[in-house]
Amino acid sequence: IQPPEKPLQAEEWNRLRESFSSPEIFEEVMLNSMVRYNSPLDVAKSLLTHVAKSHGDIAYSLLVKYLALCVQQGKTSEIHDVYDIMKTRYKVLESGAYNLLIRGLSNSDQWRMAFTLLEEVKKIMIPSRGNYESCIKAASRHREMNLAFDLYREMLDKDLVPTLDVLQAFFDYSRGMKGAELQKELFGILFYLRDNQIYPHKTFMRSIKLWFESIPGENWRGHLTTIKDSGQCPVCNHQLEDSNLTEEDYNNLRERIIRDVIHGTDTFRKTSPQEFEAFQTFVENRLPFDIVIDGLNVSHMKPRQTQCENLFNAVNCLAKGNTRLLVLGRKHMLTNSSNWRKELMKEMQDKADFFFAENISEDDTFLLYATLQSGKHCKFVTRDFLRDHKACLSDSVTRHLFRKWQRGHQIAFYSSEEGNHINFLPALCYDCVVQTTGDTWHIPYKNNFEEKYSYQVPRKWLCIQQK
Amino acid sequence: MQSANTLLKKIIRSSVLPFAAHNGMTKDFFPLRRALSLSLCMKQDNSQSPSEKIDLDGWKKVMKSGLQEVSETVSQHKELSTLAGARELLEMWRLAGRSVPENITEEQLKGFIECPSKSAQKKYLKFLYLKELYKKKDKRKMIEKREKRLEAQEQDSKPDETKKNSFICFWANSMDKTYNWRVAQSMIFGQPLVFDMSYEKDMSIREVANTVRQLVLSEGFNRRSVDPFHIHFCNLKEDSLYQKEFIKHYKEAWGRLLVTATDQCYTEVFPKDKLIYLTADSPKVMKTFDHDKIYIIGSMVDRSIKTGISLARAKRLGLETAALPLEKYLLWSSGAKNLTLDQMMHILLTLKDTGDWKKALEFVPKRKYTGFVNKPVHELKKTLNLINTLKLGRRQEEIRKQFAKSYSKKLTQE
Repeated sequence: IQPPEKPLQAEEWNRLRESFSSPEIFEEVMLNSMVRYNSPLDVAKSLLTHVAKSHGDIAYSLLVKYLALCVQQGKTSEIHDVYDIMKTRYKVLESGAYNLLIRGLSNSDQWRMAFTLLEEVKKIMIPSRGNYESCIKAASRHREMNLAFDLYREMLDKDLVPTLDVLQAFFDYSRGMKGAELQKELFGILFYLRDNQIYPHKTFMRSIKLWFESIPGENWRGHLTTIKDSGQCPVCNHQLEDSNLTEEDYNNLRERIIRDVIHGTDTFRKTSPQEFEAFQTFVENRLPFDIVIDGLNVSHMKPRQTQCENLFNAVNCLAKGNTRLLVLGRKHMLTNSSNWRKELMKEMQDKADFFFAENISEDDTFLLYATLQSGKHCKFVTRDFLRDHKACLSDSVTRHLFRKWQRGHQIAFYSSEEGNHINFLPALCYDCVVQTTGDTWHIPYKNNFEEKYSYQVPRKWLCIQQK
Repeated sequence: MQSANTLLKKIIRSSVLPFAAHNGMTKDFFPLRRALSLSLCMKQDNSQSPSEKIDLDGWKKVMKSGLQEVSETVSQHKELSTLAGARELLEMWRLAGRSVPENITEEQLKGFIECPSKSAQKKYLKFLYLKELYKKKDKRKMIEKREKRLEAQEQDSKPDETKKNSFICFWANSMDKTYNWRVAQSMIFGQPLVFDMSYEKDMSIREVANTVRQLVLSEGFNRRSVDPFHIHFCNLKEDSLYQKEFIKHYKEAWGRLLVTATDQCYTEVFPKDKLIYLTADSPKVMKTFDHDKIYIIGSMVDRSIKTGISLARAKRLGLETAALPLEKYLLWSSGAKNLTLDQMMHILLTLKDTGDWKKALEFVPKRKYTGFVNKPVHELKKTLNLINTLKLGRRQEEIRKQFAKSYSKKLTQE
């Protein structure tokens, strides 16, 4: 229903209400549509007056909806009035009203009031990240950076994930401000991006660039660029961090993969202890491999060729020089069939080591184990994004390690349209995260509104250096 | 002129002025006054328009009046315990129109507080809310029924003319006796059916409750069937959640139930080579129902589908596994292939009686499949192959056409 344009008299509201299909929820529906059509406040007031006069009271849900309308139109004094009324009526308010009040007040000149409300919310529940966002933005808008950073740290302590908007606000409002403490805090945000492998979008990147360039007396210059495959920045010729994990991280990751992904709650779910042991001895005896291939995944590369031929092509492509290959498969590949021809399998087994798992076991887990066991140089080939394995890892730190390792060690492939040629995309040799050397910063960014999957990395970079 | 006078009187009487002054809201007040005087002029020009000006802030006065004593009581108990605080918050959510139950017990409130996240809280509250809604609905229906029955009684309260019936009336009691007789017989001569009760740690409390509910249903179906199974609840530990839920459902009847409940594993009770573990993850598909085998069903409800848990159990114990031939007989459309325990019971009972897969798989929920495969599978495959060759044939034709085109081009170039 469309709300009226002008305030109505009581009898006019009554008439409207009676013509409505379900009169008992008429007020709710009407106020909802007022919010949707952004009706003048007076219209809503006249409805509330009508309700108050006929029932002697206004339901809480109606007050909240009216509050939403006030917040939408930025009517601060009305927000205050509604809050006063609510406070006298009810012991506590609920999250919906608090969200609206905090949002509404933080945008007004009474933004400090939003902070007292935030304290009130803390008494009954954990505030949402939206609540923090409003308050942080209000504080930084009024250049109270210390206050804003206090809230930001508090928010992180509560395991709330800040929106990119909040982080950007810090950079926007610190522009041109001096202070070692402030600078440290903002670098802290950049390190937060690094640790959580978050990529800023283009406008956020621009805010970062402008902030760097605005620091008085430090002479930072930023350039947009793309990094070469070699990992060198074309602007400052600086070599980016490589994607290798540290010894400690590497061992950590390997242990966690064995514990969480392969064994999990029950070793029998993905393999069996006997089989895993057999695989372990098999791998130990033949270490180290250079490339580990997910045989079944590769064999589905081209639907028009038999699986056997696909795998054969891939093995031939990768077996150059004396690279040591390991192909993982399942036992059914050994039974002679139209898809798996015995002669070709024989021929391949001369060029690479093969391990055949039980048909009901998961070969991906073996792939991870063999690659990690072979050492840092070893790569693996599969088109799988390994998302389900990443999900098995229990904490986000290890998951980030896994992603980093995957970026540096997974060889993806695609087949060209014609011919038997297979193209392998080499793993990135540099690491795609926010990084610094002290006098340079390199920040990868993505386009606004760009759909980016979690396994993809952006190609565009912001290079910032101190002249 | 007279109407203008009454209007003025009304304005003076109206509560806008004192209210605005009281609140010191001059900013808001002035535009309002301007609007008032404007409408006054208009009224004088056009006497047909509505005669009363709306008091826009009147509602505030209503809301604020007579609340002094309320606010005083509020300030008295400022310090609330967490439980009371949560109750308070829930009440506000309910007022705000969220799906929150009206009445909540202490235990449920604790459950709410212990929820690990906000979305878990929301889900739990919605669950309680819906539960309450259904309960209310049932109660209302019961009352309606009773009223109707009373009405009907009043209507045909004619002189009691005893109905003469040559049949003996079968009461529920005697039916129960027959059923129990049958089940008792099955406990001596019948085919065992095992429920594996070892998944408690893989489930949430609610999932365990659901599981036991399904088991109770299954037991009921079995009892009323012509040739019941001898049900074994294996791996059922004393004081487990399963056990507690069972007692909640059956009360004192749990001790008299004609089933075998044991904390032993089925491998200790039965010879291993006779056991078949039924699991949707099994690579083997069940072809026929074997009257000499002992089928095992995992007593688990997994709302977040945990693939391979029961298969892992069977693998560990080295048991044979099987899955129902759902794909073979049904054109599957959506939903997981794992069925509820009572559906499994229906299917196995039907198979046992008739051996007819089509009849048995009628118990698969209709939303999960679009229809029965009406032709044998090899015939379907044949048509699929035919379609494929036709497709490929067309492709070959396309290649031929393309070749002809380029060939003619070559000819013209020469």
